[in-house]
Amino acid sequence: MTIAGVMLAACSPAQKHLSPAEIAALRPADAHEAQLYEHSCKACHAQPGSGAPLVHDHAAWDPRWAKGEDVLLNHAILGYQAMPAGGQCAACTPKDYQVIIRFMADKEQAP
Amino acid sequence: MKISRRAALIAGGAGVVVAGTGVAGYEAATYEKPEPPSPPLTDKEGHLVWRNWSGIRHSYPAERMAPASEEELAKILTESPAPIRAVGAGHSFMPLVPTDGTLLSLDQMAGLVSVDGDEVTVRAGTRLGDLGPALAAHGRAMANLPDINKQSLGGALATATHGTGKHLPAIHGTVTALRLVTPQGLVVDCDATKNKDLFDAARVSLGSLGIIAQARLKTVPDKNLHRRVWLEPFEETLAEAERRWTAHRNYEFYAVPFTGLAANITHDETDESPRPRGPETDSQFLEALKMLRNVFEFSTPLRKRVAHFVLMMAEPKAEEAVDEGWKLLSTERPIRFNEMEFHLPAEEQLTALREVVSAIEKNRPDVFFPIELRRIAPDDAWLSPFQGGERGSLAVHCYYKDEYEFLFTLIEPILRRHGGRPHWGKLNSLKTADFAALYPRWKDFADLRRQLDPQGRMLNPYLQGVFGV
Repeated sequence: MTIAGVMLAACSPAQKHLSPAEIAALRPADAHEAQLYEHSCKACHAQPGSGAPLVHDHAAWDPRWAKGEDVLLNHAILGYQAMPAGGQCAACTPKDYQVIIRFMADKEQAP
Repeated sequence: MKISRRAALIAGGAGVVVAGTGVAGYEAATYEKPEPPSPPLTDKEGHLVWRNWSGIRHSYPAERMAPASEEELAKILTESPAPIRAVGAGHSFMPLVPTDGTLLSLDQMAGLVSVDGDEVTVRAGTRLGDLGPALAAHGRAMANLPDINKQSLGGALATATHGTGKHLPAIHGTVTALRLVTPQGLVVDCDATKNKDLFDAARVSLGSLGIIAQARLKTVPDKNLHRRVWLEPFEETLAEAERRWTAHRNYEFYAVPFTGLAANITHDETDESPRPRGPETDSQFLEALKMLRNVFEFSTPLRKRVAHFVLMMAEPKAEEAVDEGWKLLSTERPIRFNEMEFHLPAEEQLTALREVVSAIEKNRPDVFFPIELRRIAPDDAWLSPFQGGERGSLAVHCYYKDEYEFLFTLIEPILRRHGGRPHWGKLNSLKTADFAALYPRWKDFADLRRQLDPQGRMLNPYLQGVFGV
């Protein structure tokens, strides 16, 4: 495989299952979490092309989820690669981050 | 989403060149530094960390508050532990936000209040990215937007955040009225006739006079813009830049060190039908530049020849789009960075740029981010970097994993020598006396700040230093 091929594969976006309008319409069930999500997380995680894993995009989220929920929570609060610390949600608590991560990963039924 | 032809060419071109350098070259090209060290998740009292967008600033606020009304905000300002610092998207690189007192989010004080002709009243917690579609629903638009649109309106005003356009002021230059909640809990309205001194001071005030709850802004009709992006030799851009700033509604360019090239971007009003921009490709461009840096850092002449060849091959013609301004003027920035930006007298901007590019290419082969040049129309806010005349901005970026101390030792002296004023949210080492020398109304601002906040409840240690408290 050529290096260019490797690079292109690395740059390719994850498989998309929902239309941009469907992605934009998704929000957490809880009104408080929905408000936090709308003001902060949604700006990137519902924005195709932002580089962030899109909400309910299993191809993007499942490998991340496999690293463990604690790792994702840590990355959300402290920042990791393109993810800015706190996800630009200054009012979020660790519990809020957990709920919103589960919502975005479509793992709301996780124990 | 499909990867664009342009992005594929950039990535593929750089990849093919790197492939030619063999396995060792590939390993060097794709080397990724580890994440910078993180602060602890909580302090010993259990307070959760807050960290800015780039990751270089942090603190452990004792309280985090998100008021939903001016009454709640007034109560917080009078009762919550100081320092009280507001945060939006945390995009400031200077320590404007860190506090061990109260961290204040205005996310619940967001949205349009009213539309009155060509003016709109907007709550300060509104993110600029949300303002575009909200205004478009009324056929209106912000005349200009910054490069990034994640910021809150309040944060953008506080730091004099700006876009580009010779005849377009920064966002605070479009403000016609403000509502401020003072540290003593008073709700005060001001404009060019009512409480004029407060209006002139508060439009750019670093969150030091209280918290701006809402602002009235001038807007323009929501017309389509024609966006054009192209690469050309750096010297051609230097020769044409002044003419382009005059000829185009919005013009900016990026000087790309170690390539001999510059990327140019224009936006002009048009009646053409929309042709959407397509996927963001700047990240691939930056990855290609990083890869070329990693492989050819040892030889600037070789790096320049290879980069020039690869990038011009990938960018043979301009990329064009037509759409509403709020969809075109700002860009997704998934690659984090640290940044220094100074606003120079317009006539000094290009001379300073030559010196900066020369200094970087001579001394800092690790740099790969392009240097951004914009032009901003004047306004009369007391602490506006654009007060007193047109300014040309020059911004040097560093990958968030790279060392950025050279910005202070190598770049800042050049920008200061050319009369620059630093962006309030971006890296600089200026002190009280420096600001006093740059701003004719500095003392007036300091006196007003002391009247409004005699106890300094809005000042964190950095701002105490700025104001000499």
